[in-house]
Amino acid sequence: MKVTIDPDLCEGNAKCVKACPEVFALGDDDRSYLLCEPAEELRAKVQEAARLCPRQAISIAD
Amino acid sequence: MHMPWRSADLVDPDRYLKGVPHDLFALLRAHAPVSWHEPGDGPGFWAITKYRDVVAVSRDPRTFSSARRSALYREATVSELAEMQLMMLNMDPTRHTRIRSLVNKGFTPRMVARLEPRIREVTARILDAVAPLGECDFVTSVAAELPLQVIAELMGVPQEDRHQLFTWSNQLIGFDDPEYATSPETGRQASLEVYMYANRLAAERRKNPGDDLVSTLVHAEVDGRKLTEMEFDLFFLLLMVAGNETTRNLISGGLLALLEHPDQKARLLADPSLIPSAVEEMLRWVTPVMHFRRTATADVEIGGQKIRAGEKVMLFYPSANRDEEVFPDPFRFDVARQPNEHLAFGIGEHYCLGANLARLEIRIMFEELLRRLPDIELAGAAVRLRSSFINGIKHMPVRFTPQGKSYAR
Repeated sequence: MKVTIDPDLCEGNAKCVKACPEVFALGDDDRSYLLCEPAEELRAKVQEAARLCPRQAISIAD
Repeated sequence: MHMPWRSADLVDPDRYLKGVPHDLFALLRAHAPVSWHEPGDGPGFWAITKYRDVVAVSRDPRTFSSARRSALYREATVSELAEMQLMMLNMDPTRHTRIRSLVNKGFTPRMVARLEPRIREVTARILDAVAPLGECDFVTSVAAELPLQVIAELMGVPQEDRHQLFTWSNQLIGFDDPEYATSPETGRQASLEVYMYANRLAAERRKNPGDDLVSTLVHAEVDGRKLTEMEFDLFFLLLMVAGNETTRNLISGGLLALLEHPDQKARLLADPSLIPSAVEEMLRWVTPVMHFRRTATADVEIGGQKIRAGEKVMLFYPSANRDEEVFPDPFRFDVARQPNEHLAFGIGEHYCLGANLARLEIRIMFEELLRRLPDIELAGAAVRLRSSFINGIKHMPVRFTPQGKSYAR
């Protein structure tokens, strides 16, 4: 599962961090970062993180 | 199929005088979630009423443009449109993204949280002023004051000028309401006065920069150049209107919802830790901005309906926020509702820049209000703004047991 966060859209709302702390973390610059390439079993949580992002900054390829 | 509504209903300000036409939206969601309307004041439009369709349109700003014909309902002339497109609200990526990045770092949850002590201080002062009176117009004396004072401070506007901003803002937003707009020219005149005011302030900040948004904007560069005077003026106007009108109406409408649901008010009084979720429910319930407009840039399908390039598309947020498919029992006002992923701030590219600031202001206001004036109640009918765009309350008489000025915190 390939996940990307658009750095121009992300505004540090950190909804993704709350939804899936295994994969997303908030940086000192108030942007979310990927901690790892998520394992397949986290798909549902990553999808939830993407759905909840107010700026829709997260995309999931395949 | 014959539909039991008039084509103008969704945008007729008179239809909103007694409240949002939720019965009509519910009918549309059930039978025609994407429906065609021809109100006769311009081109027809597609009304998007389901949550999932509002999200789909919002997250695709390239297909559903805010710039092409602006994000507002009213049809603009060519020259009006050229001016409006200098405002972030009426831009598409990537221009929108770059302009927004000038200021968005100041509105992240972490940055906004730093304002909490100051906002609490301002809120306390506003409530202290009305507490001994035992009654007031909640809108003008309380709900309007907090966002006005906060945005004035963030923008570096002298506090003594804030009531002038209040008047201009009412004239800009209240174009369909006779109390604010005495003639069609009122709004235009108000915007010119705002521009002149903004230019004076900008000149002052160029000489004496401060720690405020106006100073940031006059010194900012996008693509290697500074904002033009017109770009700056429109940025100022957008922040000023968006920063006070919407929060004011949410605070007034939120209190009205609490007073109309005494069981929910009692719940909050008994357990103030519910206030953050109550704020989200007030946002869902009131939805201060009721629509924005997009224009399709290509043939596309939404909710099973074909939309052709160039057609007008209206997003109805109050309808999305009562969508039965997303919110169980959507017509129940429930201060503990969870989850509550409402669209009162929109979603995607144009998600409200000030959402975190608004949430903080509203939370602090209700924390302080319910603690200080727990028996607050209506002393007359709330007077609604005549508008199909802003779900607003102009006046709301309230009464409460007077509290002395020395009321201990």
